[in-house]
Amino acid sequence: MLKKLQIKKHALTAISFMLPLVVASGLLIAIGNLTGGTVIENYQDAYSIPSALVSLGVLGMGLLAPVISGAIAYSIADRPGIAPGLLMGLIANAIGAGFLGGMLGGFIVGFFVLFLKKHLKVPKWAEGLMPMMIIPLVSSVVIGLLMFFILGVPIVWATDGLTSFLTSMQGSMKFVFGAILGGMAAFDFGGPVNKTASLFADGLLLEGIYQPEAVKILASMVPPFGVAFSWVLSKALRKKRYTKMEEDNIKIAFPMGVCMITEGVIPIAAVDIIRVVVSCTTGAAIGGGLSMLWNVGSPVPSGGLFIVPAMTNPFLFLLALLIGSVITGVMLFLWKKEPAKEFTEDTSDDEEEIDLSDVKITI
Amino acid sequence: MNIVGISACTSGIAHTYIAKEKLIKAGHEFGHKVRIETQGTIGVEDELTKEEIAAADLVIIAADIKVGGKERFKGKKIVEIPTNIAIKAPKQLYKKIEAELNAKQ
Repeated sequence: MLKKLQIKKHALTAISFMLPLVVASGLLIAIGNLTGGTVIENYQDAYSIPSALVSLGVLGMGLLAPVISGAIAYSIADRPGIAPGLLMGLIANAIGAGFLGGMLGGFIVGFFVLFLKKHLKVPKWAEGLMPMMIIPLVSSVVIGLLMFFILGVPIVWATDGLTSFLTSMQGSMKFVFGAILGGMAAFDFGGPVNKTASLFADGLLLEGIYQPEAVKILASMVPPFGVAFSWVLSKALRKKRYTKMEEDNIKIAFPMGVCMITEGVIPIAAVDIIRVVVSCTTGAAIGGGLSMLWNVGSPVPSGGLFIVPAMTNPFLFLLALLIGSVITGVMLFLWKKEPAKEFTEDTSDDEEEIDLSDVKITI
Repeated sequence: MNIVGISACTSGIAHTYIAKEKLIKAGHEFGHKVRIETQGTIGVEDELTKEEIAAADLVIIAADIKVGGKERFKGKKIVEIPTNIAIKAPKQLYKKIEAELNAKQ
């Protein structure tokens, strides 16, 4: 049954649609940040070219959830899936369910559209209306309301619970606080949990408390640095841990990480979610705890390595970042298994035994 | 046999083309005439013509993701596999296909 649903194929289709978007948007943000740009708050005022680049990149990142959701629904239900899929992704953005919410919405609405295509019978004269009006409207109403009112509720609860929890932790042990904040900021690579921690840190910044901001910046860089470090380890010790495709993704994720963009790790996490998430969260938590303990503060909310000189204690910040990244890297290196043998560069005619029992000819 | 097909992988820059080469190379060894259309991130390349599809005895779709234009193969015998089978074991694949075809007759 599960095999028939082809969950993996739909997710891979979404990733293949998403990759060019993430790379373009990430690099736009990186180039813009490097040249001194910031997100444009008000388009009525004058703005610079770097700010235009950063803003375009941020807008592009905002398209992530809709594109994932739309591509999954398209993969499941073909063209009628696209419009409702994009809408479900927008809902995920609006209610703060991010990239995971987009995936969930895409799958649900995709299968619903497929169901409608197969089972909804209309009179002959209305058949032309099916793909144009009936399917997009009915699926958007039914699954859209489900997203807003039912699937959204636990996410909002989680967000609320988290905020009050964080606030109550404030006075107690600094390390624990920093570890929780750091772990959260790294947990979903720029998703809703990260955004909650991020918002919290930004809020405290306005109150003149700079330490959580440093933890947030650190935790956004630990996943890409840690993954890159585990790759360096695997190269140095000649123990293969990543496929060719993952290596290419790591090479993109690292420079994005320098600019404090964690999203580059998503394609690597998507194929091995538990190991990557646990390792990244652990490294970021320890690094964040140390940063908090050492009282490192950052008056700037974003900018990656380039704003480290602006921090209250750049040296200790870098040390905490290094420790966190090394922990993530070593964990990944030890925990990840050697990938299945690749035959990409191999031109020999030797073939390994492979299970072909699923190969069926259909007409 | 006359074989046409499509290959497509997730990142659409490498495995798509390796799968194509492997299918063609192994196919020739078995005496098949093989034409593969690639659907990479750059878009469709080496698009199959109507005549090629009409003349084909079998369609091989080696893809990890959704491919476009499947409706062109209506009424044809179709084999759908992930790209790794085409890359790792193209000869075993052709043998298996022959066995399946013989079993059907």
